Amino acid sequence: MNGPGFTFWGLFLACALLLVGYVTWMIRAERDE
Amino acid sequence: MTPQIWVFLGYFAVVFGIGWYSLRATRNETDYWIAGGELGWFTGGATMAATHTSAGTFVGTIGVMYTVGWSFGWVLLSIPLAYWFMVAVLAPRFTRQKELTIPAFIETRYYGKGIRGLAGAIILIATVVYIQAQIVAGGLIANTVFGIPTTWGMIGFTAILLVYTVVGGMVAVVYTDAFQLVVMGLGAVFAVPLALRQVDGLGGLLTLVESAHPLVFTWETMPATLLFTMGLSFFLGGVATPEKLIRLYAMKDMRTIRRGVLFSIVMILGINLLVFILALSAIVLFPSLSTGDLAMPMVATAVLPATLGSIMLAAITAAMMSTVDSLLIVAGSALSVDIYQNLLDPEASPRRRMWVDRLGIVVVGATPVVLLLSGVGEGDLVQFIVLLFTALMAAAFVLPVVGGVFWRRATQEGAASAMVGGVAATFAWEAWGATTVEPVLCGFLVSAALFVGVSLLTPPPPASALAPYFESSMSRDSA
Repeated sequence: MNGPGFTFWGLFLACALLLVGYVTWMIRAERDE
Repeated sequence: MTPQIWVFLGYFAVVFGIGWYSLRATRNETDYWIAGGELGWFTGGATMAATHTSAGTFVGTIGVMYTVGWSFGWVLLSIPLAYWFMVAVLAPRFTRQKELTIPAFIETRYYGKGIRGLAGAIILIATVVYIQAQIVAGGLIANTVFGIPTTWGMIGFTAILLVYTVVGGMVAVVYTDAFQLVVMGLGAVFAVPLALRQVDGLGGLLTLVESAHPLVFTWETMPATLLFTMGLSFFLGGVATPEKLIRLYAMKDMRTIRRGVLFSIVMILGINLLVFILALSAIVLFPSLSTGDLAMPMVATAVLPATLGSIMLAAITAAMMSTVDSLLIVAGSALSVDIYQNLLDPEASPRRRMWVDRLGIVVVGATPVVLLLSGVGEGDLVQFIVLLFTALMAAAFVLPVVGGVFWRRATQEGAASAMVGGVAATFAWEAWGATTVEPVLCGFLVSAALFVGVSLLTPPPPASALAPYFESSMSRDSA
């Protein structure tokens, strides 16, 4: 059973995690320059 | 005059104004093709997001999600991953030497005018098909807003696009894209709360949508292999489609690129997620449309009040135009710079070159309309044409571009066979392969095998071809 639970909210969660990951990487890349 | 027509007239006036301003800001070919290579993070990021967000997003994505359900939405994750890869891995080497076009990069790295012409030809043909899909969507919008036949809508949009793109080149494209991104954002932000009000809020929507389309939140409507290979297609396409790569040249430096791409990712994710919610609303409100591509125009005209509905339609138009203008730049430069000037008329004066540049854009812009008028390429779901284009670009260019700046042994012959083989394999799979697997997988694997195999069988590239992209390659090779 999938239901609206994870299939639906999981996508929003995954997007948020990706953004946090990118920003963290970007800050470190700028610091290392 | 209805509010709809006023909104559209105002919108077109701004676009033309920007085109006029850009003509004065364009002094040479570098300005015309890559906006002088001096874009900041806001304009650079905005044009990336606006180019990515096409009629495919506002019409096609809603269309597919209307038909197959939410699982399709997960393909979205491939976009930030692709952009992240592009910025973190590819861009630092790729932008060491700036070129005016992607085939010009191919010439520098693969030391040949012929292979540059080949890259130009592949881009040209694939891009014309892509433009065609977008123009069809434009025709549907014009029909909804102005009540004119779709054919006249297509001709009208093409004319508007050509005017500002031909006049102002990349500068016009970048600034109109930034404006159009604002229109898209406003459209999506206004439309979602109003659509949700009609279905008792988000909670109500989630309940109603499951009763209208019981499989909407399951993984059953789309085979996992198809979903995964679609994601792969968008990932590889995101990394190596020429209209994305050229924006790396257009932005000022690596710091600007990193920030611009962050802005772009935020906008793409935000707009897409809002559009997905609209798709769910469309399932509830209009459960029996003949084609999914009608879902968005229906939401805009039947759900929203007249003025907001026209802002939404303007947003769809903005999505379409901001993608097509970038494609016109890519295809126009392929025709006039990489094919005509590179192979047929290398001695042209700067003045003559600028004229040929503009003529190239007129030719590639007019071709899709001529093809449509003669009955070629009508009726397909917009999103699937977008996918085929993305697959072709991915199969042709990921290996030559990414491999080219990381693998010193990659040769001209390897890159040429990767491009031709990748395109042929993609088409072959599209025609005869299993429909549960996207053609990109086959195209990419064939391209990779040829790229590596043929490169190893042919003599290594000269040091001069490697110098721009590999640190200390000159000293190592001459030692």
